[in-house]
Amino acid sequence: MPLNQALKGKEYQPVEFTVEPDQVRQFDDAIGEHNPDFRERFAPPTFVTKMQIMTSGQAVLDQELGLNYALVVHGEQEYDYARPVRIGEVLTATPRIADIYAKGPNDYLVIEAYIKDAAGETVVLARTTLLSRGTAGGG
Amino acid sequence: MAASVRFDDIHEGQEVFSASKVVRREDVKAYADASGDQNPLHQDDDFARSVGFPGIIAHGMFSMAHLGKALTDWLGDPAALKRLKVQFRAPVFMDETLVAKGTVKALDPATRTATLSVWAEVARAGDRVLPIKNSEAVVELA
Repeated sequence: MPLNQALKGKEYQPVEFTVEPDQVRQFDDAIGEHNPDFRERFAPPTFVTKMQIMTSGQAVLDQELGLNYALVVHGEQEYDYARPVRIGEVLTATPRIADIYAKGPNDYLVIEAYIKDAAGETVVLARTTLLSRGTAGGG
Repeated sequence: MAASVRFDDIHEGQEVFSASKVVRREDVKAYADASGDQNPLHQDDDFARSVGFPGIIAHGMFSMAHLGKALTDWLGDPAALKRLKVQFRAPVFMDETLVAKGTVKALDPATRTATLSVWAEVARAGDRVLPIKNSEAVVELA
């Protein structure tokens, strides 16, 4: 079933996320990060993915969208950083469906989230492109 | 902190980093737990085979994390990375050696920023396969 293109532009609820020291430490250990700047002060740049996984559920699981997660492949990932994410800070991510389009047999879903700090300043813009294999009906 | 890379130290076409990592099953499991992405494609061989792979594959983000670390290891300054955009184009299998690389594509002296071509490659059956390709990073240097 093709994705519901009417959801293009839909914005979801903001989700708050605390950059917990234990979670950053676990992430550092998993990726082999030993730089003391990252272990003590900042989250490594791709830690943002954890925030996205914890905040983008309302979009990918949106019943109106019709996404079957078993068919999904991660196509592209983009991060624009205003500054590094600080350990211990509280951030808010607001996911939004930036685009839905069909190309050949596949549907493409672009989810964008501005991740802002307590002062309302954007820290990171995260943009994820997911591919839904074979659902577009094109050839 | 490592010494930071300076704008005047790099030139167009230069390879600025090359970082290898052997991808182990336990690393991929640790990444699943740390990132929260528990998709069985990255943990369950039977599931991976049912969708056409010979066994589990690493998360695309696992490879991007390795690339991100290679970048920040080279840069020294955590604030220097301004943008990282990647395309995932091939799976990575267990026990393969993933190599993250970057070369300087363009320099802007006015803003002291450099645009890098970045990618990740593995050697597979005599071929060079690029799990991450057509990708870029923008860095702002001292």
